Amino acid sequence: MVTSGLSLGLSSIHHGYTINQDFQAAVDNVTLNIAAGEFVALLGPSGCGKSTLLRLIAGLEAPSRGKVSSDGLPILEPNPERVLMFQDPTLFPWRTVRQNIALSQDICGKRDEAAIDGIISLVGLKGFERAWPHQLSGGMAQRAALARALINHPRLLLLDEPLGKLDALTRLTMQTELHRLWKERSFTAVMVTHDVEEALFLATRVITLSARPAKILSDIKVNLPFHRHRDDPEVLQLRKSILTQLGHRDDW
Amino acid sequence: MSGTNATSQRHINDRSLTRASHDRPTAVISWLAGPVWLAVALLTWRWPDADDFPNTSLLAALFAFIGVILLAATTTGFLKKRAPWALAIGIFLGGWEVAQAKLLKLPRPFFGTPQDLLDVFITDWSRLGNSLLHSLGLLAVGYLVGSVSGIAIGIGLGRSPRFRYWVHPLLRAIGPLPPVALLPLAFVLVPSSFLAGEALMILASAFPVAVLTWSGIASVDPAYYDVARTMGASRSFLTFRVALPAAMPQIFVGLFMGLGASFAMLVVAEMLGVKAGLGFYMQWAQGWAAYPNMYAALIVMSLMCTGLITLLFKVRDRILIWQKDGLKW
Ligand SMILES: Nc1ncnc2c1ncn2[C@@H]1O[C@H](COP(=O)(O)OP(=O)(O)OP(=O)(O)O)[C@@H](O)[C@H]1O
Ligand SMILES: [Mg+2]
Repeated sequence: MVTSGLSLGLSSIHHGYTINQDFQAAVDNVTLNIAAGEFVALLGPSGCGKSTLLRLIAGLEAPSRGKVSSDGLPILEPNPERVLMFQDPTLFPWRTVRQNIALSQDICGKRDEAAIDGIISLVGLKGFERAWPHQLSGGMAQRAALARALINHPRLLLLDEPLGKLDALTRLTMQTELHRLWKERSFTAVMVTHDVEEALFLATRVITLSARPAKILSDIKVNLPFHRHRDDPEVLQLRKSILTQLGHRDDW
Repeated sequence: MSGTNATSQRHINDRSLTRASHDRPTAVISWLAGPVWLAVALLTWRWPDADDFPNTSLLAALFAFIGVILLAATTTGFLKKRAPWALAIGIFLGGWEVAQAKLLKLPRPFFGTPQDLLDVFITDWSRLGNSLLHSLGLLAVGYLVGSVSGIAIGIGLGRSPRFRYWVHPLLRAIGPLPPVALLPLAFVLVPSSFLAGEALMILASAFPVAVLTWSGIASVDPAYYDVARTMGASRSFLTFRVALPAAMPQIFVGLFMGLGASFAMLVVAEMLGVKAGLGFYMQWAQGWAAYPNMYAALIVMSLMCTGLITLLFKVRDRILIWQKDGLKW
């Protein structure tokens, strides 16, 4: 099944939160256009407003100022075409792993058991379908959350550190799987990550954000063919310039 | 990446605890229980009563019968954890039998003998049974209607600001009032004492259920709503498939408190207005100084209450199977 991606437009977005009667800006004048089928990685220091940006795109919150639109239409509320995989797995504790993964199907009222089976083996949770979330490890819960996000073929996939809790090896496998799915289904993806290598391995475009409130520091096209090797000199070069952007010139 | 792992899978499915192996003292107690009951039976049968008590030989036979059953349970290995209790109850009944039926050591008529109690069950079982059924009926209707409306009110309070605006003040005004305080009013206002009792029991059980359902829904992690909303969940899905299951642990606390309140309300209503049921039976027994009858009614009532609480916990364990708490009734 081929789903085509959504395009995204963010024009001069400002957003913030009131904490103890103080308005704290979290996103500062972000303008960003993402074409259908792009894979965009967002990099930035902790607490800078990356998750906030994804919530705005998902339609869970409306920005204080500015407009978010997809395919030219303003985003006013959440829509199953745009699925957000949260930073925390937030599996429903009263549902088994399988029922959690089937959540979006239960919401729209039609189960597709074969698709559920497929996605469960894709994320390597076979044999744990009937486990309760509290019986999973952190990484397994994250994989279940990934499966839950992927199950209904979203046209825009918003990933908030999707592989953050996985061990290095599982992480590599999941990166390959994500890449394969993206090729296969040609959805648009926006992924927050702290891992520059991961961004360079998966993304067609890497955007770095400043510390809070988030401003766009750089927007780098990754014009490298897949399958990329992590020790490719061009990848290393990009990695160096991105780390420099993020203020870690000396640390890499 | 095949994360499948047969051992951990078995671990997940295996919810039962392995039975602890039994040490010597328990085994000795287990072998003691049957003989003690048999000895009590012999004592009851051969030692002449101090007064003219009914059913002495039947009581002895009953003790003997239980003794034999306990012996059989020991040989087949059924009697393990409960053996100390079986022994203790045998010793208690034997002590009571000797102290009162044989030696008349306790003040009469307030303390009867074991055979008096047995006699009540033999001669008055149909009235006791009818009272039990009547109480159960009164309780079931009041408690079920009260719980369901309590859950509905709690959902309304938790999910609808307009509902909360109108109902919250009413809840604050009426809820904390002990329903017993409304009893005189209810029996005057409501023509049938049965209906008045029901109304008060509904009040008694609905209040804690409503408050705890509300509190459960209010404390649902908003991230759960976000997850469902990004998948296009409707308001009713958010209420019934997200908020309600997430609030279930608290709702069961409310149901538990509501059941306790209904027990209290049941007895008060039956003692003061409703002319039937176990409460009324007890009132009657006390009026006629028929103390064995009162004890019998108390025993039946205690069995009823503990049985219902057990039932509630069974339902809870079924519904909250996803929780990792090991609370056992
Ligand atoms: N619901 C909220 N209420 C108040 N402040 C919030 C809320 N959500 C986020 N913030 C604030 O907005 C800022 C950005 O938060 P955000 O979660 O977007 O950071 P992030 O870039 O995702 O960080 P991390 O990489 O650590 O996940 C933070 O300063 C945070 O305190
Ligand atoms: Mg974040």
